[in-house]
Amino acid sequence: MKILKLMLLLVVLGIAAVATVMYSGIVNVAADEPHSDLVYWLLEETRETSIKKAAEDIKVPDLADPELLLSGGVDYNFMCVSCHLQPGQKESDMSVGLYPAPPNLTLAAESHEGHEHGDDAQSARKNFWVIKHGIKASGMPAWGKTHDDKRIWAMVAFLQRLPELTADQYQILTALDPNDNQEMAH
Amino acid sequence: MKTLTKTVTKIALVLIPAITLSMTATAHDPKLHVKKVEKADCSKMDNSKMDMKDPVALAMMKKCMKQAETSSAKMDHSKMGDKMMDGKMDHSKMMDGKMDHSKMGGKMDSKTDDSKKDEHDNH
Repeated sequence: MKILKLMLLLVVLGIAAVATVMYSGIVNVAADEPHSDLVYWLLEETRETSIKKAAEDIKVPDLADPELLLSGGVDYNFMCVSCHLQPGQKESDMSVGLYPAPPNLTLAAESHEGHEHGDDAQSARKNFWVIKHGIKASGMPAWGKTHDDKRIWAMVAFLQRLPELTADQYQILTALDPNDNQEMAH
Repeated sequence: MKTLTKTVTKIALVLIPAITLSMTATAHDPKLHVKKVEKADCSKMDNSKMDMKDPVALAMMKKCMKQAETSSAKMDHSKMGDKMMDGKMDHSKMMDGKMDHSKMGGKMDSKTDDSKKDEHDNH
């Protein structure tokens, strides 16, 4: 009975502590104030593990079709470039202002610090899942709500080649002819 | 008088922060936020350095060929006949010297001076 009372007391104290933190306003939610190293590590590990697990059964289609690069390139240029940059660009308002900072996708996966990306297939699975479902409280939207899997895989195909592209190649692949009535409803 | 002072104070309280905020909003070039729709600059494509088995090279070729086809389709002279004949083409605006004949080369050479004359006689 004593143990039960003690546990009940601990639960009440825990709820009171959480409520105090929530309603005292001591947690700084400003995006220009970084997390402590510990909090950042906790959140990043949780995120990476969650994505890895959620994406592990996704089957990766053949991504070598040049048409995928064209479709994915146009979509990337309209939907992603403001945060994830393009060849020759070092930063943007969004890449500087968002927290956590969106990854610079013009850099090869190996050159990213921190978490591992795995091989091409693992990286493709992860990219597909993230583009489709987004990431809570990070600024990354769930594009799957408005784009079908085919278009998302096209973006994944483009992302695989993006780090190798020159600025000129990027311009050609992502350009949308003003006379071409492709979908521009983003 | 007191009412006037109060009103002026209120207006100032609203206007000063509004102007300050609007000025900071244009602190950097607004052009950065403009999404331009532009054609592929295919003149920068160097075919000699391209591996024609690489999907990137193939994609670029496809894009540029499609763009070239679209451009040439827009210049389809076979469809111009009817428009020229029914008077929809406004020749009065063509006399301002902005028409660059140097770039028209071969495409216009196929027509003789007589044919040009005939078309214009129909106006």
